[in-house]
Amino acid sequence: MNNFDWFLQGLSEAATPMNLLYAVIGVLLGTAVGVLPGIGPAMTVALLLPVTYNVSPSAAFIMFAGIFYGGMYGGSTTSILLNTPGESSSVITAIEGNKMAKAGRAAQALATAAIGSFVAGAIGTVLLATFAPPISRFAVTLGAPSYLAIMVFALVAVTAVLGASKLRGAISLFLGLAIGCVGIDFLTGQPRATFGLPQLSDGIDIVVIAVAIFAVGEALWVAAHLRRRPAEIIPVGRPWMGREDWKRSWKPWLRGTAYGFPFGALPAGGAELPTFLSYITEKRLSKHKEEFGKGAIEGVAGPEAANNASAAGTLVPMLSLGLPTNATAAVMLTAFVSYGIQPGPTLFEKEPLLIWTLIASLFIGNFLLLVLNLPLAPLWARLLRTPRPYLYAGILFFAALGALAVNVQPLDLALLLVFGLLGLMMRRFGLPVLPLIIGVILGPRIERQLRQSLQLGGGEWTSLFTEPVAIITYVLMAILLLMPLVLKLMHRSEETLLIVEDDKDQKEKAEA
Amino acid sequence: MTTTSEKTQENAAPRRVDKAQYLVCAVLVAVGAFLIYDALTLDAGFAKVDPVGPKFFPLAIGVILVVLAVILAIAIPRGSVGEADAGEDVDPDSPGDWRTVGLLVGVFVAVILLVEPLGWAIAGTLLFAGAATILGSRHYIRNIVIGAALALASFYAFYAGLGIPLPAGILDGIL
Amino acid sequence: MIVIGYSADPYGRAALEHGIAEAKLRQTTLLVINATSGESYADPRFAQSGEVHDVEEHLASCGVEFELTQPVGVDTADELLTAMDRPDAALLVIGIRHRSPVGKLLLGSVSQQLLLECPKPVLAVKPA
Repeated sequence: MNNFDWFLQGLSEAATPMNLLYAVIGVLLGTAVGVLPGIGPAMTVALLLPVTYNVSPSAAFIMFAGIFYGGMYGGSTTSILLNTPGESSSVITAIEGNKMAKAGRAAQALATAAIGSFVAGAIGTVLLATFAPPISRFAVTLGAPSYLAIMVFALVAVTAVLGASKLRGAISLFLGLAIGCVGIDFLTGQPRATFGLPQLSDGIDIVVIAVAIFAVGEALWVAAHLRRRPAEIIPVGRPWMGREDWKRSWKPWLRGTAYGFPFGALPAGGAELPTFLSYITEKRLSKHKEEFGKGAIEGVAGPEAANNASAAGTLVPMLSLGLPTNATAAVMLTAFVSYGIQPGPTLFEKEPLLIWTLIASLFIGNFLLLVLNLPLAPLWARLLRTPRPYLYAGILFFAALGALAVNVQPLDLALLLVFGLLGLMMRRFGLPVLPLIIGVILGPRIERQLRQSLQLGGGEWTSLFTEPVAIITYVLMAILLLMPLVLKLMHRSEETLLIVEDDKDQKEKAEA
Repeated sequence: MTTTSEKTQENAAPRRVDKAQYLVCAVLVAVGAFLIYDALTLDAGFAKVDPVGPKFFPLAIGVILVVLAVILAIAIPRGSVGEADAGEDVDPDSPGDWRTVGLLVGVFVAVILLVEPLGWAIAGTLLFAGAATILGSRHYIRNIVIGAALALASFYAFYAGLGIPLPAGILDGIL
Repeated sequence: MIVIGYSADPYGRAALEHGIAEAKLRQTTLLVINATSGESYADPRFAQSGEVHDVEEHLASCGVEFELTQPVGVDTADELLTAMDRPDAALLVIGIRHRSPVGKLLLGSVSQQLLLECPKPVLAVKPA
């Protein structure tokens, strides 16, 4: 069956009433948490992981994907209507979007964000469907040494590239790897780091860790620093756009998508960089330069498209290689593991129906988001009146519920608390969360790959470097690690580049 | 160029030594030492085909953790500071309401201890109502009502929908 | 001194108007309090800068001496009662809305608490 046939099959699966229901729930939930500050799609998917115990994989993933895309939509709604963004990737949207809203053009801002997100999401999903299978097919031909190299590269990329402090990224990563060590050694059957507790012989349940780090840690951190001063919501009616707005928006949509997708697909690309690049580009290319800083519609259209395209892009390495590049993807991967499905290049071969159903439902979800969000935008704004004590008490409640549901033992609650405090500590001391989760997920797999590679290579360490892909990957990795040093030697450090960007931002904010 | 960037950096961030970060060092050392100790108690395994053995990973990770702790300990007095997470709902200027956190942890511990004897219905209610109150909501009755509704609903939903029996505790038989 | 419990809605504005009228009548000063518990991310009753500016202008143009405060992170009723404890506070003006008994149980009633607990006279008004 070629890919298009599989896609049609997936579409028919995704269009069943049950799955459609899950899609609707997913996008509604996703938009809601995107709107609400303090909660994000990663935390929501983590809190919903217990449903994977009784719901079919396709239904669960349809819902999670809906939450993922929905989170982007919700985030842009808040960033336009409030003077603070709802999602960190919506920071750029807030610059022009909020100005537009203050000038009475909130409806247009919301419309261009929603439609741009839809366009970018649709194109992005098509690209995903086009590129993921061949990448995965190629990856399957790779031997264990190459796959090992790629995994190590992903680890290094996430740790060393994102974030300002490599030291702290490394700390997070190794803490994650340490957590991953707990359990029975797969080769020799000996218990490692299990404190003598038989319940830990399967390792610490990934659901507990995900929920603890994302939900409990976040809730405790916010509890310690609760914002008190309410933000101002700008009232708005239904979003719509005039002809002029459409004319000015469509090219930024496409350019934004072009920026967002590749960055999303690369490990450690992230969503902040492409949205920023899109903003600068639109500013430079715009015929209405003077409007930037006061509410230029291109400044909303481009970055929002970049945002959503990036989200679609992150699914490429996740589905084709089993490598998560952002927090939500990492949590979704744990859902795969929870179902006993091995994420990785073999996913397309072993579970084609599941994957293509997921991809098809991305299209459906994207469409649903457009249809649901355009009329409902004013309603989402009302969600912001929920009292925060209930929000965060609710998060703690559902976190405890989720952890308890894993094995119905209080030990998991204790673990939840311990790792929740770890999450709190990490947020207090600026240790990035993503490397830890990736360390927990990839650590055991890397160890397994390493030892299996060596087994196959007859115990020789050089066998790790025999495949061309492996060598190339290690070289790339070395370049990635050494690049900051090289740049420093050339008298242009990354920090200067970032400071220049920052200064630009500050200037723009000052002009605003 | 480098001098200008240094100047900008110094003007932008006054150096403050964040001694609390030593806590991170302590944690790193504790985890690292534990891993090393635990790894040493393992058998070597089949060295011929598995030259790495079960010890290698935990040992390496443990050692690196301790090394990182040392690096961090050196960096702290030099003003190295991790930027505290500035989430959307966080007020980064406030010093940190650790009393609230401590109380929340306390409620959590209580729930851990009470969930088996008293059951999820009661423990869940306690968790929600307690957390909401600690976080500032003074509508005590309302908190308990919502908490009880959530706890009971989730109890039944998980049992009927997902087939997972949460602890019923002393209400076993009634529910 | 007259204390006005202000909120950015018709009830608050009604309280403001009646409060101004009383202040002119009694030839005394005004203390306008617009408090929020800060519990929600968005509180529509909390006056934002634009509205604050308008209110201050209005008060100034009425020729009454006034003070406008916006305490954050406090309980509204407590804040108003504390203000009324001041020796020079003579009257509390609040805008009230209808709440059914169930509504009062679930959502609380600040106005009921003030009416019952304030030791000094309370003027409860409704929008015209």
